[in-house]
Formats: sequence, C-alpha cells, structure tokens
Amino acid sequence: MAVSDVTFAVEAGEIVGIFGPNGSGKTTLLSLISGALKPTSGSIVFKTRTSLVGLPPHRIAALGIAKTFQNPQLFEELTTFEHLSVAGHLMVKRELGWRRIHTLLSSRLSRADRMPRRAEQVLELCRLRGVRDALAADLSYGQEKMLGVAMALMCEPDVLLLDEPASGLGNVEVVELERVLRDLRGEGTTLCIIDHQVKFLAKLADRAISLYHGTKIADGPPGEVLSDPRVVKAYLGEGHAAGPAA
Amino acid sequence: MSRNVLAQCALALAAVALPVFVKNDVVLTILVFSFLASILAVSFNLIFGITGQLSMFHAAAFGIGAYATYIAMHDLAVSFWTASALAAAFVVMVSLVIGAICFRFRLKAFYFAVVTLAFAEMARLVVVNWYSVTNGTLGINLSQRPVLAVLGRSITFESTLSWYYLALLALFATILVCGRCVDSWMGRCFAAIRLNDELGDALGINIFRYKLLAFGIGNMLAAFAGALYAYFLGSIQPAYLSVGQSLAIIAMVLLGGQRRVAAPVVGAIFLTLLPHIIDLSAEMRAVVHGAILIFAILLLPKGIVGTVETWVRRRAA
Repeated sequence: MAVSDVTFAVEAGEIVGIFGPNGSGKTTLLSLISGALKPTSGSIVFKTRTSLVGLPPHRIAALGIAKTFQNPQLFEELTTFEHLSVAGHLMVKRELGWRRIHTLLSSRLSRADRMPRRAEQVLELCRLRGVRDALAADLSYGQEKMLGVAMALMCEPDVLLLDEPASGLGNVEVVELERVLRDLRGEGTTLCIIDHQVKFLAKLADRAISLYHGTKIADGPPGEVLSDPRVVKAYLGEGHAAGPAA
Repeated sequence: MSRNVLAQCALALAAVALPVFVKNDVVLTILVFSFLASILAVSFNLIFGITGQLSMFHAAAFGIGAYATYIAMHDLAVSFWTASALAAAFVVMVSLVIGAICFRFRLKAFYFAVVTLAFAEMARLVVVNWYSVTNGTLGINLSQRPVLAVLGRSITFESTLSWYYLALLALFATILVCGRCVDSWMGRCFAAIRLNDELGDALGINIFRYKLLAFGIGNMLAAFAGALYAYFLGSIQPAYLSVGQSLAIIAMVLLGGQRRVAAPVVGAIFLTLLPHIIDLSAEMRAVVHGAILIFAILLLPKGIVGTVETWVRRRAA
C-alpha cells in the first residue's frame, strides 16, 4: 500500500511541510487529495463539509485545491502566457458562468474579464515576465517549476499542494520561491509542501508531518519532527537515529 | 489587422469575385465540391487537429446528415433548410451517445479511432441494409432542389453559380464557427486536451465535457456538409459513410495543416482538384490518398500551411 493509516488535519492559512524518504508515499498522498488517485478506503474532507473522495481532479480544483507536479507538466506548444491563460479557465468560469458562451459571439465581451490581467500579475509574482512569450520547450528547469506554481495560482486556490517545488532549483531560485510562498501565505492561502530540501522547508513550515512506508510517523513543529529518532532513522538509517539529529 | 487575417480576407474576396472572371461550368462545379470537402476537412480538424482526437466517425456523420435530410424532406415534407437542421440535430444526438461512451471509458488515440470506426461501420451497415428507407446499395436519386424564400421571392438552387455561392457561404460560416470556438476559452480547453489532458484536468478543465463538445460541433458541421453535398450531387450512396471517405478527410487535414482553423481548406481543394488534373479511377484515388497521407506525415508534418508559415517566419527573423 503506497499510503495507509495517514490521518492529519490542516488548518486554514497553515504551511504544512511533508517529509519522508523516497517511496514513503508523499506524492501519493497529495495525488489522493487532488483526486488524481482514488483511495480504496478512508475519507478526505475539505472545509469540514465537503468529501473529496470520488471527485475528479477538475472538480477538486474548482472547489479550491490546486496541485503542482513533481516532474513539471507543461503544454509543449504553448508560450508561458498561454499556459496561464489555459490555467485561467476556472477564473473565467467563476466570473462569467454560463454567460461565457456569449464571448463566443463577440471577442469584445471577453476583453472585460479580468483573467488576462491576473495572468500578468502572476507572471510578475513568479518572476516569469522575462519569458512571457517564450515557448514552454525553451524554459529552464527552474522556470518550468515556477510555471507549475504560476498555473496553480491561476486557479485561485484556497489550498496549494506543492510537490517538491524546490528540487532542481539553484540557491537564488529557492530564495525566490520562498518569497513567493510566504507572500501567498500572507494572502491567506494554505500550503502543503513536499520537499527534500529540509532546510528550506523547515524554515518555511509552521508544522511538519513525516511519512515512512505510507504511514505517518510524526506530526508537530518542524524542529521536533526532524529531530524525532523515528524520522532520523527513516531518512538516514538505524545508526544515525542513536546520535544527535542532522 | 494581422498579416494572417489580411491574407484570409484577400482569399475570401477572391473566392467571392471569381465567378465574374471564370464562367466555365466544369471549373465552378469542381470548386463547389472543393468548398463542401473543405467544410468536412475544417470540421474534422476541430476534433482532430485542435482537440487531438482521431475520430473515424466523420464520414458517418457526413453520410447520416445526407440520408437524414432526405428522409426529413421526404417523410415530413419540410424545406431543405429545416430538414438539414433536423438532420444535424440528429447527428449531434448520435455523437453525444457515441462520444459519451468513448470518453467515459477515457478511450484515447488508437482505441478511440477503432471504436469510432466500429460505430461508423455500424451506421454504414444500417444504411446498406435498411432497404425500405435508404434503398440500400442502390442509393437514392434526388430530384428536389433546395428552395429559399426571401423577400417575397423564391430562389431555387439549381444552377452551378447559385450552388457556388451557397457552398462558399456555408464554408465561411463553418470557418467562422470553428474560428470563434478556437479563439476563445473553449479553444484553450481543446488545446489543453490535445497537449496534456492530465494537466488540464488538474487545472479545472472538464476533459469529458470539452471532448464531447468538440466531437459534437465537428460532427454537426459534417452533417450540414452531407446535406449540401447530397442535394448538389443529386444522389446519396452508402459510400458517403465509408472508411475511404474518412481517410480522404484525414488526408486533407494532414496535407493542409492542423493548427490553423482554415488550413485544411488547402488540403481539401488540392485533393478535390487532383482527380481532375490526373485522371484517376476510384481505386487509384484511394491509393493516391494513402500515398499523400504518408508523404504529408513524413515530409510535411505541419501540412502545407504550417510549413509555409514556418518558412515565412524564418525569413523574417
């Protein structure tokens, strides 16, 4: 079982860091929440009332939960700005509803919607303005990862699930990413972040959860969780668990 | 106005003005067939080139549109326009059922092509065997002509010139409808499905709904093309629904280009003109379509329009 016996709650506005060695079920956990995978048992409840089990990913995104991908997922033929326009679909739907059918009759009507302006803002926020009209195929790895975050932001999520957003990024890019994520938290977005860059995530997160072989083994402030012997043993093996934490 | 739009407007004007300079009935007839083939190609491209779904049902939609229009005119005694609208509505309903089955089971690429081919063959066999309604393999000869009542006068579409303008108008309308769909939030959903539907799903796009929409709109336009084609030619045959016809449509799109709404027109005109430039039997036509498919895939992957665009862009850079 990739994930079994994981129970936790996330408070609004929190940043929760999800730690664990490779294969511990972190990505699977986020995929279960986002609807990409269906749980065989258990419950996932959003905002106290809404059960997410059985809902398709697009419905869960519409409810306010957006996820990024561990390996950047892109639309190969489109430019950066076009990616954000596609990701702005939920915004257009929310703003216009069924009236968006009218925009098919006249493009003049569609100039009124705020989605393109929001896309420009998100470009600025994620430092992608310089590659606005570049094709996705021409972006650097770091830019691809930021584009993933930018697309998730276009969904105007209440909760952002980030799967290793800092992996493969240089030091400067990690600092940029941290700034973006802190700004998001400042706006009230709840963040669940998986990452192997322990220093980056420990500094950012309010709370940490550690997984091992699909089970939650620790839950609490990052400092406590990362010095928990079970967590150290999971990451570094038996020998290190006895000594001081890394 | 962009250079692209200007070029399209110039071509459209040229097409409207052409009969002033070209009076040859044979040439105009070939052009009418080209325009109707273009409607088929542009509508198929909405499903295939834009949304990325290889449907083998397009010829069936074309054929069902033709037969259903005849049946509505014959049994319900309505005008051609009402009959073709009813036929298109029927094809949309059939498309929704077939599409719902295919997309519910998330059939993609090869599997989607095979299942739509199976449905198309089912439709063709119904047409061939339902002798009492369709006259089976003998087909139906049509003596009626569409009549349009406007401003107290009635226009009968009998002359080649009247059909030229009717077919051209229908083509403009098809390009307009497909263009509006593609240059909008709907077109962005179609592109997302074509390029990475898992990502599109994660971003809140209802993949099932938009695949169904593309399939429905494309087949609806094909049905209208079928109605026009049947009443211009004066006969309907089960061959309208054949695999060969579907392959011809695919060849038109691959040859013309897939990323621009109107690009398949180039392929459609080329393939319609070809048998008149080189004398081809029906069997040889199928061979030539196959050869063009292979040629287009290997040497012109972006189609004629896409290749020309890339060349122009490189020269400008």
